[in-house]
Amino acid sequence: MNPKILVIDDDNALREMVGIVLSASGFDPKYCPDGNQALSIFESEQPDLVLLDVMLPGKNGITVCQEIRNLSGTPIIMLTAKSDTNDVVLGLEAGADDYIVKPFEPSELTARIKARLRPLTSSEAIVNLGPLTLDLEGHQVLRDGEQISLTPLEFNLLLTLAQKPKQVFTREVLLEKVWGYQYKADTRLVNVHVQRLRSKIEEDPDNPKIIKTVRGIGYRAG
Amino acid sequence: MLRLLRRSVQARAVATTVALSSVLLVVLGGFLSFSIGNGLFDARLKQVLAESEVAVLDAQNIFAASSVSDEVALQTLMNSVVPRLEATGVADSRRVALLRSPGQTGAQILQSPISSGLDTALISPAFRSEVRASSGRVLYQSIQLSQTENGIVTSNPGIVVGSPLDIPLAGDHELYLVFDLSSEQQTLSFVQQTLFIGGLAIILIIGGVAYLVTGWIVRPVKVAAEVSEEIADGALDVRLLEKGEDVVAVLARSFNKMADSLEQKITKLATVSKMQQRFVSDVSHELRTPLTTIKLAGDMIFEARDDLDPQLRRSAEIMQGQIERFEVLLQDLLEISKYDAGAVLPELEIHDLSQVVTSAVSSIEPLARKRGSEIKLELPDGEVVAEFDSRRIDRLIGNLLANAIEHGEGKPITVAVGVTSDAVAVRVTDQGVGMSENELERVFDRFWRADPARKRTSGGTGLGLAISLEDTLLHGGSLDVWARPNQGASFRLTLPKVQGEPVATAPLPLPEKTTTAGSESDE
Repeated sequence: MNPKILVIDDDNALREMVGIVLSASGFDPKYCPDGNQALSIFESEQPDLVLLDVMLPGKNGITVCQEIRNLSGTPIIMLTAKSDTNDVVLGLEAGADDYIVKPFEPSELTARIKARLRPLTSSEAIVNLGPLTLDLEGHQVLRDGEQISLTPLEFNLLLTLAQKPKQVFTREVLLEKVWGYQYKADTRLVNVHVQRLRSKIEEDPDNPKIIKTVRGIGYRAG
Repeated sequence: MLRLLRRSVQARAVATTVALSSVLLVVLGGFLSFSIGNGLFDARLKQVLAESEVAVLDAQNIFAASSVSDEVALQTLMNSVVPRLEATGVADSRRVALLRSPGQTGAQILQSPISSGLDTALISPAFRSEVRASSGRVLYQSIQLSQTENGIVTSNPGIVVGSPLDIPLAGDHELYLVFDLSSEQQTLSFVQQTLFIGGLAIILIIGGVAYLVTGWIVRPVKVAAEVSEEIADGALDVRLLEKGEDVVAVLARSFNKMADSLEQKITKLATVSKMQQRFVSDVSHELRTPLTTIKLAGDMIFEARDDLDPQLRRSAEIMQGQIERFEVLLQDLLEISKYDAGAVLPELEIHDLSQVVTSAVSSIEPLARKRGSEIKLELPDGEVVAEFDSRRIDRLIGNLLANAIEHGEGKPITVAVGVTSDAVAVRVTDQGVGMSENELERVFDRFWRADPARKRTSGGTGLGLAISLEDTLLHGGSLDVWARPNQGASFRLTLPKVQGEPVATAPLPLPEKTTTAGSESDE
């Protein structure tokens, strides 16, 4: 079955065109024209990934993003016309996994979607990191036997760090391994998601014990 | 002092007032002192003459009534007359001399009695002869009496009054009374002193009053000056206090009116300019959504071009190229609108300029080869490190290279990197069409193209050099151009090694007649 992609965009032409590109690349596009209907369509369609325009009539993209995140960890990629504004950071903090700046190439769009839908690969079934246990088959994280709900991206990020504890990962390496960027990308993606991850797994997110910041270089686990 | 006078209206006004009133007071004081002196003298003279007439009469009576017959008795009588006359009148102010007229027959046997301390030299021979010829009238003359007291010689005004006196048996004599006017002189001195002190006080008071009054008048002007200074410095909402109906209030009101309209105009202009910037930015953003759609659609068609007939295929290719151009133009527009809004902050890091240049050259080499231009790279030994935003500088160098290729006519292009103690530089030189002096002046203008008639091939946006200049200024560097028609052009970017530090000497010389844009070197 083809992966189902929900395209939330108010621009009819763009929505349809994105749908055509997605269909041509073997995805199954579903559509939503505004923010107010977004949540109900999301619930009825149960998509594998959401493409979300930040500027939406009715409920704006940031709010929609938060609402979807509250329901599930489904990957969300934002579409934005302004890469340099606060919108991007707000969207990432609201739970978006990645973003694409308009105008984009069809290949860029499909590459981003594929990167987010790629299944995890690991030689081990269980990875331990401090008080955490990562169960790859069950796709869940346990802390002292208690389950922590992570999005696939957060799980991927944590796993990448946990597989090589003590090793320092630069933001660029994480962008390549977790986000699938081959060239220089926005390091804010890493910063925001590490913060989100910490807020879920750390006892004190301001004083992290599991994912540590290595000043001027990047992050490491343990 | 002079500086104060030049700088302060108030000081000047006070100084002028004091100077003018001093002159007036000196003239007035002089006149007063003169007329008081005259008045004193006249009054004294009248008294002196009256006293003298009485004294002369007295003396005549004494001699007329006497019945002395021998010389000794006569001498005694004469001697007694002097102290008698001395004793009358104002004490200590009258001395007497009874002198025998010269030129008489008969020997002078008797002595001429003279008051002690009286110098007969004071009575001039001319005056004496006048007295002798006066036929009994009393005559006077002003003289100077000198007095020695504790070794100090002081001079006082005096009057000598003379009258002929006929003494029986002793012949013609002249009676002289010398009056000392020192008390009048004292009075006059005292008056003068009082006038002087009073005048001084008046000048001081006038100065003070002038200071207060001018201060009172100058203060609103001063306040207005300060307020206009503040407005000039950008505090557009500062106003003067409007109080009363006088000229100062009128000044304040019209000043405020002027400031109001100035503020309105400036605010309006700022709003218009901001709106324009916003408009450019909004348009650029609004265009992005339809452009995305066009791009996606164009790409779909372009990918399937092999299935189309030749005309449609070519159309798809042209469309694809133009969509790309449109996108670059939009990007440049957005970039320049960000600069116009002052919303650009460089991401400064230490980089090696040689590396940035090398990578920029290698990424544009395919295009250069296509156009037949060989790019020669001249790098110095060692690192060429400086603090800059590598993305912007990379774009800037890429832009200079693209220009060189476009206008290079397939001739070799030389790229040189240089370094000094405080600056780094890169120079891109082509040997192509070059530019005239007029063109050189406009080279950084937006949407300006060197030769509108020339066909464009690489499809630059016309904003490239304008953005390059903004990027350069953002780094506190300078962008210099040299060009000659048909000899080529040379662009040199100079960046300070450390942001904010001045550049003493730029690396890599350019030929003369260079247009410099930006930075410290021309400030």
